[in-house]
Amino acid sequence: MNTTYGIIAVALVALATLGIGAFGLRLSRTTSDFYVASRSVSPVWNSSAIGGEYLSAASFLGVAGLVLASGADMLWYPIGWTTGYLMLLVFVAAPLRRSGAYTIPDFAQVRLQSVGVRRVASILVVGVGWLYLMPQFQGAGLTLRTVTGAPNWVGTAVVAVIVVINVVSGGMRSITFVQAFQYWLKLTALLIPVFFLLHAWTDDGRPSPVAPTAWFQPFGEATGPGLYLTYSVMVATFLGTMGLPHVVVRFYTNPDGHAARRTTLIVLALLGTFYLLPTIYGVLGRIYARDLLASGRTDTVVLELPSRMIGGSTGEVLAALLTAGAFAAFLSTSSGITMSIAGVVGQGLTRGMGASTRPAWARRISTITTLRLAAAGGVLVPLALALSAERIAVANSVTFAFALAASTFCPLLVLGIWWRGLTARGAIAGLIGGGLCAGIAPVMTIAWGPEGWLGVLMSQPAAWSVPVGFGLMIGGSLLTRGDVPANVSRTMVRLHTPERLDVDRQF
Amino acid sequence: MTDEPAKGRIRVTNPLTTAPSHVRRSVRQEIDESTGVGEVYMRSLIRSQLRAALTVATTLLLSIGTLPLIFLAFDSVTDFEVWGVPLPWLVLGAAVYPALFALGWLYVRQAERAERDFADLVEPEES
Repeated sequence: MNTTYGIIAVALVALATLGIGAFGLRLSRTTSDFYVASRSVSPVWNSSAIGGEYLSAASFLGVAGLVLASGADMLWYPIGWTTGYLMLLVFVAAPLRRSGAYTIPDFAQVRLQSVGVRRVASILVVGVGWLYLMPQFQGAGLTLRTVTGAPNWVGTAVVAVIVVINVVSGGMRSITFVQAFQYWLKLTALLIPVFFLLHAWTDDGRPSPVAPTAWFQPFGEATGPGLYLTYSVMVATFLGTMGLPHVVVRFYTNPDGHAARRTTLIVLALLGTFYLLPTIYGVLGRIYARDLLASGRTDTVVLELPSRMIGGSTGEVLAALLTAGAFAAFLSTSSGITMSIAGVVGQGLTRGMGASTRPAWARRISTITTLRLAAAGGVLVPLALALSAERIAVANSVTFAFALAASTFCPLLVLGIWWRGLTARGAIAGLIGGGLCAGIAPVMTIAWGPEGWLGVLMSQPAAWSVPVGFGLMIGGSLLTRGDVPANVSRTMVRLHTPERLDVDRQF
Repeated sequence: MTDEPAKGRIRVTNPLTTAPSHVRRSVRQEIDESTGVGEVYMRSLIRSQLRAALTVATTLLLSIGTLPLIFLAFDSVTDFEVWGVPLPWLVLGAAVYPALFALGWLYVRQAERAERDFADLVEPEES
């Protein structure tokens, strides 16, 4: 592959990201701008931004790689990632926006009137964020190595640095522009080469993929673990999406609950369109790039296909376009997660320092400064993990982040919004219990790698850790029934009444 | 309140002070003051919204949720081909997405209608 085109593509995406970010910086003036773009983003902008933020390395590169490797069974991943938005739409979108909080810890505190829940939720936001950032950084290293031959750490470091500059300089408003731009870049980058590739495939006499029957059919090898894994992926992705911190923070940028619903609906359409494409790459990869399977580099199939199938300068330009899309995926997802980690940590720090005693202007400056420090700090740990940990398939490792979110924040949000009986102590029990179950799994899988059924249960923990999270939260709340916050009725009014009604929403 | 005077005594009051107030209380006031009536309104709104959400969740469970079992149980389904593409690939790779959008669209319509009805109830349009 010609390295010049690839480097130019990466440089252009990086410059465009920083450029649009700088444009947003001129508009970003207040703390509210910084955190949530002053809640004035229209549904179309917002949903493009959500799409841009959500479609990570796992979607852009990982799905095609998994399809190449394992066939039909892997189609559940993109389905789950889309269905997760439908669950988010029906259970949390509008009430979460109406709660008027910035982050999940804010929601927890508003709903349960407890600083303890807030602290536990803040720690979990950081945990989910780190689990999600690690594969993004690793994917970036892999991509840059495929394109330019540079060692893995170069791409990882490049993405980390750009993300920190971007978040530190502009905050949420610039991120909104950047993310929206990157959705359309990613869709274009994946869509245009498909036409060329399918044309080349037709010219080639439309060969069929060469693979065992198991590859063609879901559950070609019908076994217990296979069925368990499929349902566990479903649970993790269906319920985990609503609890991803970088997804949730996007909902606060909607003007009202009505807009939050419309935004989510548009996101469903945007994701559905995008996810039609990776499958095509995976199947074509099975025909033209089967050697990647042996070398264990299936995640690069999207980047490799144009030069293998088309070649010449057309192939190189298309490969460069795909590289640009992949980099957009790393940058947008990492920026979003870093932003949400920084928001939560920054808020926690400022409150901890007793900011309320200082004058308003000093408080504002220090809040933004803390946010910037938190952004830089939040990236360091996953960066270190990405550089040291052994690589596992991008789409697989992202699922750990989904499982953790599904076992902790999903019960918190769903029960908090729909059930008056949730108490602070019950919520803490669920967050800690579910979090431990879903948090031990990736540690066990990466550090130890157990065999047999234990390995299966640990590689996809959601199917058992989500019930644990829900069970502890409900059980704990029932045991501490007297602790139900006194103002729960007022909170319910706030969460569920349409904005145009002039009811009392104060606490 | 001293609604129940002791036996043998007769409370003498001005009829106007005990007469029920003729001021109509709006539903909004009931909700703001968290009265029993206000609570009933709120609970009915939340219940109708939750019902809509659970309907979507159940539909998902019965459709996408049962697909793995269907593929596992019926070989004829997995072997079936449309234009040379095996049916599972067509369903999982493409057909699922418009269906998810349609489900979301129906939900939003239902949820917005429930909110409109609630709003009309709480603050009727002055005619």
